[in-house]
Amino acid sequence: MTRTEERTETVGRLPGDRDMWIMVLGDMTIFAGYFVIFMIYRAMNRQEFLVAQQHLNITIGVINTVVLVTSSWLVARAVQAIRAGDVQKSIALVVSGGVGGALFMVLKGYEWASKIAAGHTNSDMFYSFYYVITGVHLIHVLIGLIVLGVVVRELRNPARRRAQMVEIGATYWHMVDLLWVIIFALFYVMR
Amino acid sequence: MSTATRNRDVWWMTWFFPAWYAVFGVIICLLTRVTPPPRPDVTAAEKVAFFAQHHLTIQIGFTLLLILLGGAAMTNGLVCYQIKRMSVGSVFAYGYIGGMSVGALPGFLLVTVCFLTAAYRPDRNPELISLLYDLGMLSYNGSLGCFTAAYLVLAIAILYDRNEVFPKWFAYVSIWQIITEVIATQMFVFPSGAFAWNGSIAFWLAVVVFSVWLGALIVLLRRAAEEESAKESAQMVAAQ
Repeated sequence: MTRTEERTETVGRLPGDRDMWIMVLGDMTIFAGYFVIFMIYRAMNRQEFLVAQQHLNITIGVINTVVLVTSSWLVARAVQAIRAGDVQKSIALVVSGGVGGALFMVLKGYEWASKIAAGHTNSDMFYSFYYVITGVHLIHVLIGLIVLGVVVRELRNPARRRAQMVEIGATYWHMVDLLWVIIFALFYVMR
Repeated sequence: MSTATRNRDVWWMTWFFPAWYAVFGVIICLLTRVTPPPRPDVTAAEKVAFFAQHHLTIQIGFTLLLILLGGAAMTNGLVCYQIKRMSVGSVFAYGYIGGMSVGALPGFLLVTVCFLTAAYRPDRNPELISLLYDLGMLSYNGSLGCFTAAYLVLAIAILYDRNEVFPKWFAYVSIWQIITEVIATQMFVFPSGAFAWNGSIAFWLAVVVFSVWLGALIVLLRRAAEEESAKESAQMVAAQ
């Protein structure tokens, strides 16, 4: 297989484009920094973090994980649909993936509001990390919704319709999903 | 006129850009001692001692910075020039210049005046020295977020541009800048820990990302100037 065939081949090449992979790998490196620093502070204040963690609602965390993983799966199927040439199905799948992202933001907003109402503000060290890291992740979800919106706009325009564009959006959206799974494990599950 | 002379002004600015930041780095790191940042969680007496210890270099460094500060605006002008070469229209270029200039007041001038004022009368009430120390550092590091709008304008311009003046990945690096700098807002709430003005997340990770962004920008400005030279010489050959 040669590089010139890459528009039609689905294996043996980088999905999306190089620029988005730089974004994803660099962004994950920055998040790795946040996670390492969180772990260091957790190791220094183990008891305090464990007590604070008890007040997180793991059920809503699980629901949000399921919502985002499902959303990621829908976007992955959108890539398969556009590769098979089914534009309408691909658009529908990207839109439903985006609905998942919006639902995630609503649930997260509710979770934040209920935590703040219960007095778990950022004056507690565990919650200061919780708000900053989930907040930064929320910004990523918001950017992801914009990305998915751009993908839908490009798919609706026959002149600009490209499978690569859906792959770029999916690459970013999977990163958002992956980061959440790590945040969920570190903040909600790890004892 | 040869092609080398046609955009010589752009080349001058392209070299001036890293030179200015090198001088700026020496001033803030070695002379004025605001980077790496002094601790926020110290007593008034320790803040007075900080100014006593670095009295001379703070005065030299910040008066020097007052003279050189306009150079930062000139480096922004070069980025503005390259944005104007994009296919997006000059409104983004003006947006970048305007956004960057908003950050200059809290980001440089306020800390300069605060630290020079503190160094001016070292026998002042320690509580007032302490206030100038906090005000200067909160303004200097806490103002990181002021540049967010400029980075957003730059990222959008790069993503929309069809002339490929800058590669798309640089738009994404600018988005990292936005995110790390939004976190810098936490400095106003935390006197110590990861989110303080000397914190590992709020300050150090932001500085690493800024260094990557600045280093990439310096290289990309060079590349954009080279491409412009090549284009102009091709046009001249075609015209002959």
